[in-house]
Amino acid sequence: MDKQRSPRLPRSPRLPRSPRLSRSPRLSSYFSTFELILLTLFSALIVVAKIALRFPIQTPGHSGLFWMAIVVVAAGVVPKRGAAGLVGISSGILAAFLGMGDFGALNTFLSYTMVGVVTDLALWLLQNPENLVVAGLVGAMGHMGKYLVKWMLGAVTGAPLGFVALGLAWSLVTYLVFGALGGVLGGLTLRALRKAGFFTYLAERR
Amino acid sequence: MKQRTRVFIAVGVIVLLSGLVLGVDLLRRHNTELPPGSVPIYQNGRIIASSVPEDLASLEKVSFVDDEEGKTQEGWLLRDVLALYLSLDGLGAETLITVSSSSREKSADLTWAAVNDPGNMVMFDLSGRGTLKLVSRSEVLATRDEWVQDVDRIEVR
Repeated sequence: MDKQRSPRLPRSPRLPRSPRLSRSPRLSSYFSTFELILLTLFSALIVVAKIALRFPIQTPGHSGLFWMAIVVVAAGVVPKRGAAGLVGISSGILAAFLGMGDFGALNTFLSYTMVGVVTDLALWLLQNPENLVVAGLVGAMGHMGKYLVKWMLGAVTGAPLGFVALGLAWSLVTYLVFGALGGVLGGLTLRALRKAGFFTYLAERR
Repeated sequence: MKQRTRVFIAVGVIVLLSGLVLGVDLLRRHNTELPPGSVPIYQNGRIIASSVPEDLASLEKVSFVDDEEGKTQEGWLLRDVLALYLSLDGLGAETLITVSSSSREKSADLTWAAVNDPGNMVMFDLSGRGTLKLVSRSEVLATRDEWVQDVDRIEVR
């Protein structure tokens, strides 16, 4: 028996691809996979450092010393706008899920994210993080972002006024100092990495 | 734009934001009746004093390492703080001392005997944000969850 072939439907004309869609700036095309892996590792390093490193000093903001160093190094190793912000967001998600911080997941996430976002903005303004003055200022500004989040959430949730007031100016100074020191540390690390030929290696990997 | 100009702008932003924070705080402090930096102390429902930070600075600092996270808790003993404002002779072993935080909706009830026991280390640690945190090695406050952060009231009954 002859098989009856079903009549073929006419092919629908292929629509031309929207140029906007084909050029959409996806994260994976803006950052290479290698860069994304690097930035994620830096995010994990921040969280691990926050858990593992203990400085025997009871000073507010002392964690900025390693925190800002790592963020500045991340932004220097992946010199693209948004790199520090991405580190901030991913470390914020990690830290929030690990239950870090005394004031809940939202506070933790916003603090970590703001460090990255403000560092990005500071780098957009100041540019070269290998310049130690720039690195110090970037560190101070980035860490100030975290301070502002804590201050604002403290004000919103109604933390006791007096002792916040007592510690406010002092905390601000220590946040700025430790952030700046961390930034300088990060700048020095970037210089050392350049000297060791790490950036040449990275260029080959990209 | 020159690098120098960029640096000046960055410094300006930092100064501006710092000024904003301290200015807003100053404004908030003007709107309160209690002295700035004070934690009110109540005895039998009546306010008897306001603990101010300057007073705490005169006290001897103590510290211990908590078992849960191995962090050093450093600050002032609650009994020393109370001794600044009220006569300790009037407190019996069963006198109840409640330390609370309205923002955290937490409180801890301790007897004077527990507070007065030096081994319990019932003390205030100055938190990273500059607020007071009630910490202790006593059984009543054995875990960090039971500690009271952002203390804003002490009541003696």
